[in-house]
Amino acid sequence: MVAEKTWKILIAGEGGQGVQSIGELLAEAAFQAGKEALYIPNFGVEQRGGVSIAFVQIAEGSIGAPKFQKADLVAVLSERAGERIKGYLRAGTIYLYDQSAFKPPVIDDRTVGIQGYETVAPEAFARMTGAEPGPPPRPPAADGVRLVGIPAAQVAKTELTNRVFNIIVLGAIVQLIQVLSPAQVEAAIEKKFGEKFRAKPELKTWNLQALAKGLELVAAPEPVRS
Amino acid sequence: MGIKIVSRQLSGEYEKVLRREQRSFMTGNEVVAWAALAAGADLMYGYPITPQNEIMHYWARLTPHFGRGFLQTEDEMSAGFAMPGGALVGKKTFSATAGPGNILMQEPIAMAEMMRIPGVWIIQQRGGPSTATVIYSQQELRLTATGGNGEGLRIVYSTASHQELFEYTIKAFNSAWRYRFPTFVLGDGYQAKMREAVTLFRPENRGWELVPAEPILCLPGVPARDRDPVHLRNTFNLEEELYTRLMDQLAVYERIAPEVTEWEAEVPPEPEVLLVAHGIVARAARQAKESLNRQGWKVGYFRPVTVRPFPGQALRQIAAASPNLRLLVVESAYGQLLAMVKAELYGLTNPVDSLLKPGVGITAEEIAAAVDQTEEGEAVS
Repeated sequence: MVAEKTWKILIAGEGGQGVQSIGELLAEAAFQAGKEALYIPNFGVEQRGGVSIAFVQIAEGSIGAPKFQKADLVAVLSERAGERIKGYLRAGTIYLYDQSAFKPPVIDDRTVGIQGYETVAPEAFARMTGAEPGPPPRPPAADGVRLVGIPAAQVAKTELTNRVFNIIVLGAIVQLIQVLSPAQVEAAIEKKFGEKFRAKPELKTWNLQALAKGLELVAAPEPVRS
Repeated sequence: MGIKIVSRQLSGEYEKVLRREQRSFMTGNEVVAWAALAAGADLMYGYPITPQNEIMHYWARLTPHFGRGFLQTEDEMSAGFAMPGGALVGKKTFSATAGPGNILMQEPIAMAEMMRIPGVWIIQQRGGPSTATVIYSQQELRLTATGGNGEGLRIVYSTASHQELFEYTIKAFNSAWRYRFPTFVLGDGYQAKMREAVTLFRPENRGWELVPAEPILCLPGVPARDRDPVHLRNTFNLEEELYTRLMDQLAVYERIAPEVTEWEAEVPPEPEVLLVAHGIVARAARQAKESLNRQGWKVGYFRPVTVRPFPGQALRQIAAASPNLRLLVVESAYGQLLAMVKAELYGLTNPVDSLLKPGVGITAEEIAAAVDQTEEGEAVS
């Protein structure tokens, strides 16, 4: 079955949480690993603070439509994002979510918040990165959805830095899908952020530590795919 | 006007990127900019509109390094009318637009069609009508293929992947300057914004000949003494004058159509269903076909690559060979491709069904389910 050879991954969160970076890095790492990969952001005339969604597919063979109706894995980074992507769940979908009790970030720049007609949520403009205390998220009670909660924001805040929150989530996704090696993901991170790393070397350390943390936070899954 | 054409010196960076075939991972808009560079495009005239903006951005970033030009005009009509200016003095010109911008550009495109002035347009379709969405659709098929107040003497390639965006953009420049009909690459917002793998190359390294752009006006010698005068017209005083001129142009178009027309077809023996789709939807159609074939369905697949001229004869042959073959036309528009297909099948009795979803993407699963429905469980498992 073709469906089992393709990983359909949806990442959803608030602008400012690094949703699109996770999508880009996953797809870039899969490309570097010699797989077929396709990444597309949702883009539109979003009002400020809109939910940001990334669609990623990783396959051994060719990939069809860029978007999909049901996901094999969703990574949900805010409660509102969880509401928005409900329709993508099916029995067996892995539901990875941040279980830290923090408020999601808020985009407080009015001009940027309007976003004109351009692309994705303006992540660089979030006032914070999900580090203020708030109520714990409530994951869905949908039938057959496999819940995987990780304290990503908590770990980022207490052990690393808020800025690498999304890389922890990326590490968890990589562990759950079991088709990319940590080295391949590290190479993708280096390619995307290399210039920033040269300007500020501790960024690299944080990012690589965050990736390792993410890998640790979830147990490697039972091999459900042949 | 601030456009400075320096000599076409390929810079080191360009050489580095395209010298050897190189697998890259990038957005479709970026692919188009590289393709225009590889095709030897001299000038882009454009006006911003999502989802094609990054074609302009990447091109504008590349131009200073490679001696090419870019001019942002005050609107799409101006960009469209500037293009023939470049082409008349022997420059390869192109533009990129979408949606309402595509509508505004129809007037200059119609002029180029009338005067046989070459040019390349990249269309990244968005939702319509009007502003609608900035995201995606296949609703600009009819507008791109036959828009304007004329007969639609155009060449339109509908691409389905980044590799095709690269190769057909190069090909579009060749077709435009070889045949001198307005030539289009019909993409969409998905292809514009998504990232996937593509192999970039210099066309010369694959033995692809690049058709040179020769000046059309300002030729050497004194007109009427040393050479025939060049008299390009888009205005005619007499009906008969226009009629004669158009019939000549139609004859040229019909003569070149067979060598321009491209399509993909995969038809199993004794086919029951033929999926018909173009552009990015054709990817999903092909996947649906493969998955249905594995389940025992005798499903075939037909994809026009040129949607103008339309590969009608090829499609008609397939349909005529199996009178019970049911066609399922799939598109992100409400019957634009369907109308073209039905026109080509006139007189045949094949049933024609459709899956029409204007302004939204279509997955392989939806197409497979639609085949299931139309056949009501007649599958040979």
